[in-house]
Amino acid sequence: MSAPFRKTLWGAALLLLGANPVVAQVGLTSGVATVALTATKSATLTVSPNASTATLASITDNSTANDFTPVSLTTAWNLTTGSSVRLIGWFATPAQALVNGTDLIPSSKVEGRVGATPYVAFSSGALGGVGVAGGSLQLFSEAVGVGSYFGSRTDQLDLRLNLTGTTTRAGDYTGTLNLQAIVQ
Amino acid sequence: MTFRARELSAQARIISLAATAPSALSVTITSGAVQTIVNVTDNAVNNFPSPVVIQTSWSVNAGQTNSINLVAYFTLPTQALVGGLTLIPSSRILGRMTTGIPVTFTPITQNGLGGLGTAGGSLQLFAVNISGGNKTASRTDNLDLQLNLVGFPTLIAASYVGVLNLRAVTQ
Repeated sequence: MSAPFRKTLWGAALLLLGANPVVAQVGLTSGVATVALTATKSATLTVSPNASTATLASITDNSTANDFTPVSLTTAWNLTTGSSVRLIGWFATPAQALVNGTDLIPSSKVEGRVGATPYVAFSSGALGGVGVAGGSLQLFSEAVGVGSYFGSRTDQLDLRLNLTGTTTRAGDYTGTLNLQAIVQ
Repeated sequence: MTFRARELSAQARIISLAATAPSALSVTITSGAVQTIVNVTDNAVNNFPSPVVIQTSWSVNAGQTNSINLVAYFTLPTQALVGGLTLIPSSRILGRMTTGIPVTFTPITQNGLGGLGTAGGSLQLFAVNISGGNKTASRTDNLDLQLNLVGFPTLIAASYVGVLNLRAVTQ
């Protein structure tokens, strides 16, 4: 091999080395793939009484002095919409709010109140699909909106029998008062 | 009359030829790209419903690449999920890749890797050492996700949304 030719080969080799620098492929990145995440907290509305039983030890006829033991109610809401939270109490069969065999006390003689409000009979109509015609009573209505969609309140529910003008037969009168909150 | 052509030769010239196959690295989600928890439970661990199935493919030069790494990250770690004014940080989002590095559920709170990801909002999912035998390859992994609300304040009713980024990098 002649000297000029060897020189040429060396030159070519150097040229090839220059054209293919050895560079580590550190930092090569892929495109971005994304995962869309959604977690939904559903709206909630609950009513929790502190007792499931209210009792009246001895009925006094022809009187309003027939107070049941008070019940504490906690109403909690976590909402996304609505303008008010309302609590409704209602009897399924207004003519038979309390029953002792064939002796009946209608819901019109059962009265309720929340706080220092006057007693009102459970004889109103349903509200927003909750309650029974003639056997219901709205116990409170609280305005809600942005900023108060998450909240709660605790109330004392006072119940009594208004037996003014009524005489009852001796016996145990039992019944069930339903409590349900609604958003409107 | 005899004519004789004069011998004539030019000096050799060399043209160097170089053809380079570019390296390739891609991440594809084959299923589970949309994850929805329909009804979140407060103060509990909530599982996202299905795994994110991830296919990572590469074709690299074995002599120049040590490893392939897959990283998951949130762009803003303090706001991994957002619902109104309520922010859920990335520390509440946990990831698990049983075929990778976090084989148990691990918060997405690591730092970035190789320039990818965000400080405090990343999670390295796997690392594959590259040799001659796997310089061109792919793998498929399942990423399981959780939302951990244990000890977190009760969430206001809303939809909380966010985006988890997945990206591979060579080292």
